[in-house]
Amino acid sequence: MNEQPQSDVSYRDSVGVVSLQGEVDIVRAHGLREHLVSLIRNEDLGLVVDLSEATYIDSAGVSLLFELAERLVERRLRLAVVVPDGGLVTRVLRIVNLKSVAEVHATVGDAVAAIHD
Amino acid sequence: MKSRLAADRLRDLQSITDAALAYLPLEKLLDELLTRVVDILGVDTAAILLLEDDDTTLMARATKGLEEEVERGVRIPVGRGFAGRIAATRRSVRILNVAEAEVVNTILREKGVHSLLGVPLLVEGEVVGVLHVGTRHERAFDDEDQELLQRAGDRAALAISSRLSEQERGLADALQRSLLPSLPELPAISLAGRYLPAAAARLGGDWFDAFPLPDGRLGLAIGDVVGHGFHAAAIMGQLRSGLRAYGLDGMSPGVVLERLSSLLRQIEPGRTATLLYLILDAHGGALTVASAGHPPPLIHPADGDPWYVELPGSVPLGATRHPRYADLELEFAPGSAIVLYTDGLVERRGEPLEAGLDRLAATVAEGHEQLQQLGDALVDVLLPDGAGDDDAALLLARAMPLADPLVARFPAEIESIPVMRRLLARWLMEAGATRADVDDLSLACAEAAANAVEHAYGLAPGVVELHARTGKGIVTLTVRDFGNWRSPRGIHRGRGLQLMKGLTDGVEVVRSDEGTTIELSRQLGAEAA
Repeated sequence: MNEQPQSDVSYRDSVGVVSLQGEVDIVRAHGLREHLVSLIRNEDLGLVVDLSEATYIDSAGVSLLFELAERLVERRLRLAVVVPDGGLVTRVLRIVNLKSVAEVHATVGDAVAAIHD
Repeated sequence: MKSRLAADRLRDLQSITDAALAYLPLEKLLDELLTRVVDILGVDTAAILLLEDDDTTLMARATKGLEEEVERGVRIPVGRGFAGRIAATRRSVRILNVAEAEVVNTILREKGVHSLLGVPLLVEGEVVGVLHVGTRHERAFDDEDQELLQRAGDRAALAISSRLSEQERGLADALQRSLLPSLPELPAISLAGRYLPAAAARLGGDWFDAFPLPDGRLGLAIGDVVGHGFHAAAIMGQLRSGLRAYGLDGMSPGVVLERLSSLLRQIEPGRTATLLYLILDAHGGALTVASAGHPPPLIHPADGDPWYVELPGSVPLGATRHPRYADLELEFAPGSAIVLYTDGLVERRGEPLEAGLDRLAATVAEGHEQLQQLGDALVDVLLPDGAGDDDAALLLARAMPLADPLVARFPAEIESIPVMRRLLARWLMEAGATRADVDDLSLACAEAAANAVEHAYGLAPGVVELHARTGKGIVTLTVRDFGNWRSPRGIHRGRGLQLMKGLTDGVEVVRSDEGTTIELSRQLGAEAA
């Protein structure tokens, strides 16, 4: 609950993987929006947002994911989200039905594989 | 012409030491003094140069017959030339022929000055400036001239020193005031600070600060810049800015101190400062602290004796090239108080430091209910005669126990949302909520607050109020704003409402002319789904 959200980026098999840790909230969301969009390279197939170490996500964070999905679709790319096993973030993403716009997986490996499918 | 009568001489001296001069502003006084000196000594030029703050240059402040000297802002290095030599040696100098002497100031030559006599302006043996007179014809100034000029110089020095110390005091007060923060008002956290200037009313290097962090926690700092005076105070101001910048960026205390050490070395190599920085998560019941050579904080739990935090050994900021400062994590239960202080508070001449630390702990243990009272008591006990040779600072914080119902008001701004969320989380835990209850209700409450902040006020400042109460195992949260409702725009807010509904058992939105109220309720005891 205390740590500032960090974001670590890596690329695997033409898929960007960004891990958002800690709290993805209204205070942080605006700065993250530009950051996430800038991570997508032309040669990529899609983007994986790893929330397995996120402890909190609010409607601003959720909107960030929906917006990102929209931007990716425009470029014919896919978004996959890794959600933790249980907990607040899982409940929130279920309530807003993130599955309607993104692949939702339990591990980064599964998410990368899903984008390649 | 120089063989003045004793009566004339007495009149001349009185003219120069005239008490009425004291009522003139400094610039006028110097001007009047020069007029009288020119008249009495029968010279063509006169000038007063004052030593700059850097102690290495003299600058012309008042002149007769050499007006360009002030206009051009002539600067004379101490030790060089006529005036520079007087300042460096603190002795009077006579020059019969300027053409044959080392003179830095070209204006003297331009003006055709031939002979010069100068005396140092001394305050308590220290040079504060130079007074000199000159003639266009050759003149051998004698001892009597020199003595009279020295009297005039002493009068000027007296006026200058009282004027400078007055200015300095005024500036010192203003600077110190501007560097002491107004402590933030936070729900359920009580803060108190004290600053005591040193007895000599010198500007000190002690400071403290308290500021809310973007994630809702609180940054607390106390520090001591080695040295005194304006320069030390200016360094302290820069450290404070740096601390806030790094702190607001979310860096851990240890990292903040490492950055500040580099900053200090860059601003002023050789200067050191002690600093203690901690992040207080009053609602999470924890704190993270790091110290750069600063004395340890004292923690007073609600139900126990005060104890000093055992900090790992550390060097002051600026002392070494790449210092490492470790973060220490501690529990900080509701009701606990923490005491931060500088050594000026606990050190007493001729006494071991432990005695002061013991007195501090004993006073804290008395259990003052209000932090302000504790602050007063600590100052009374530890510095009964005010601060000594060193200034002293004190910063106190306490996590207040929460009531049921809970009522808290926040500025209607995004930054308040994490604060509100953390406060509510703590209250819910104390009310026996499960982890899932706490997480879900905190988020639902944050969504209600975000709605108020984003849509109720627009750009105008406003207030958001949170009420929370329990009854029959049900928690009811009310989030109110007092602004004019503007319809939520876009799908973003729609998701906020969706989350509020999904995370609670009931959501009710009431809009009226007075503002909007969102009521959220939920049965406690839910296990995570």
